[in-house]
Amino acid sequence: MASSVITVNRDTRPSYYPIFYGMWLTLRNMLETLFVKGRSATIEYPEVKRNISTRYRGVHLLTAREDGTPKCVACYMCATVCPAECIYIEAGERPEKKIEKYPTRFEIDLLRCVYCGFCVDACPEEAILMSRENDLVGTSRAELVIDRENLMHRGKLAEVGAGYRPVDHDVRRPVRIAALERLKTEHGIVPGMPNRS
Amino acid sequence: MPKVTIDGKEIEVAPGTSVIQAAEQAGVRVPRFCYHDDLPVDGNCRMCMVEIEKFPKLQIACGTPVTDGMVVKTQVTSEKAKEAQKNTLEFLLVNHPIDCPVCDQAGECYLQDQYMDNGLHDSRTVLEEKIHKRKVVDIGPILLDAERCVVCSRCIRYEREVTKTNLLEFVNRGGSTQISTYNGGPITHEYAGNLVDVCPVGALLSKDFRFKMRVWFLKETDSICPGCSTGCNITIDHRDGEAYRIRPRRNVEVNKSWICDPGRDLYKIIGTGRVTTAHRAGGVVAAQSELLDEVVSKLQAAGANSAFLATPRASNEDAWAFKKLALAVGGRLDFRVGNPQDKVAVRKDQILQREDRNPNTQGLLNLGLGVTGVDALLADCKAGKVQVLVLQDGGMLRDPAVAEAAKQVPYVVAIATHQGPSLAAAHAVIPAAVWAETDGTFTNFDQRVQRFKRAFDAPGDAKPRWEIALDLLTRLGQPINAGTAADLFVEMAVETKAYADLTHRSLGPKGRAAAQASA
Repeated sequence: MASSVITVNRDTRPSYYPIFYGMWLTLRNMLETLFVKGRSATIEYPEVKRNISTRYRGVHLLTAREDGTPKCVACYMCATVCPAECIYIEAGERPEKKIEKYPTRFEIDLLRCVYCGFCVDACPEEAILMSRENDLVGTSRAELVIDRENLMHRGKLAEVGAGYRPVDHDVRRPVRIAALERLKTEHGIVPGMPNRS
Repeated sequence: MPKVTIDGKEIEVAPGTSVIQAAEQAGVRVPRFCYHDDLPVDGNCRMCMVEIEKFPKLQIACGTPVTDGMVVKTQVTSEKAKEAQKNTLEFLLVNHPIDCPVCDQAGECYLQDQYMDNGLHDSRTVLEEKIHKRKVVDIGPILLDAERCVVCSRCIRYEREVTKTNLLEFVNRGGSTQISTYNGGPITHEYAGNLVDVCPVGALLSKDFRFKMRVWFLKETDSICPGCSTGCNITIDHRDGEAYRIRPRRNVEVNKSWICDPGRDLYKIIGTGRVTTAHRAGGVVAAQSELLDEVVSKLQAAGANSAFLATPRASNEDAWAFKKLALAVGGRLDFRVGNPQDKVAVRKDQILQREDRNPNTQGLLNLGLGVTGVDALLADCKAGKVQVLVLQDGGMLRDPAVAEAAKQVPYVVAIATHQGPSLAAAHAVIPAAVWAETDGTFTNFDQRVQRFKRAFDAPGDAKPRWEIALDLLTRLGQPINAGTAADLFVEMAVETKAYADLTHRSLGPKGRAAAQASA
């Protein structure tokens, strides 16, 4: 019985104390916000903006090849992985036989999108990235379904910067290099085709 | 009957069975590339290696016939077999391009599947050292990508054994081996689509399906090809109510693993030019129930002066409900416009196609729909003896004989699936579903009753033909108590000797033969 008894150190200050303490806190914060530089909790948005992470998941963008065509090969990986089913793709044929395929239509419904970034993770071509743009406004629903051209030329990108994107394009490369190293040191095997001289 | 033990499970198989087939019967799928159920065994891919007791080395499961008392260990229980398969896979992938994002085969590719099952190794090939071959070569209805080929020779054996055209052959040697047509010419026969199905990888791909849809989005529905009286078993691949392609479904007794290209193209008719609303002459849209009431009152007024033309494109259920309707009204009844029944079993070529381009002529014969004789029926129409003509298929109006006769009839009802200028001759058009949009059965040339399933809903107000006929019967005051095609089949089987012991369920996925004596 005794072991379950605990002793509580009760606050013995008078009951009006917390009222005046609270009032003092409010007054102090007000005065500091008004007169002490750098203590303000608010910023003058939109003239001033907060710093956001370089991994911020904002509005998507499509990257381009050197010739200006989309890097995307319309593999539908992003559309497959998308939990909100907000990506719509139609594929077409490219004349280059090494690339073959590109999206003739690529639309993202930003109102359905949950900004999870799975599409960026799924992309095998580093074709879809996310920017740090987070203040997109539209006056109709249709306006916020953005198409391929729009995704490739997000005007604000220079201003807001790129957001979430794969850090290492080939995440498996370190693993592979380690495996090759082990083959060489432990078994003396250097894989590859024999030298043709 | 030899007894064979596979992964500790003893089964009895037919003599001459290969180990790979026996394993399949025991529930183990041995990975394979060159082996195909309906092609001769070649044994070149070396993927199906299994360990067999008392054999000093691993054996290929496809090329080894079982003997009594054989003890087989597949990749499931044998580490040795698993290792061999893994190594074979690595060799097959040496020169394989990293095309999966743009390859249409992705999702149904043997290489992908088997890499995920037992490979998952990091490639030891340096990318720059891969041997490059021809890509995107146009060979008629098919695109050839020699780089993706695993040199299994399935397509070559298909050309040699099934179509007997020998259009494909290997060229070059060693790592540079690739398949090719003579001088890069096109595949000319009507069975080219099967090459795409036969190819285990993305080397041969359909031009028609190219880049349309990734296969993992597609849902499969078992069906029967409505293109001719052969009744090939097919699978309809569809997404969100839209059909994307038709693939053969294996049935050894009908079509093996093949279908013809005209049959493969039939998915296109599902989504284009459909009748979606009931309308009167001149395209005036009418409420369906009002129009049906009008049809019923016209039929009641006409009585024996009405005529019914059934279509051999309809299912057995459709035809039987239509027959009941004709009997209830007391009108003349027949079918087979432009396709005499004697063509049902006549071959068009030596592979699959038959002269009769309707899927269910035999079914209609079994149901006894040939009552009046179609010529007599049309002659009556022309002579002005017929007040109401009900056509089960609006497409019949394209037939000049029918169109001519319909002109003399004061009221023509067309149950139509597709729009067309000839429909203008009908006074009432009722939208109908095509075969992919309803359950039902076809009876093929060989009296084999085969079941097809509903893949998706019909567009607009379109309903299955049997539902329309039942609706009319209800309005006539002679309802048939059936809510589904399966119910209707039971009702039909009661009165039809040929289908007496059959139900939708007992037909199973591969169909069953009808009793020979027709009712």
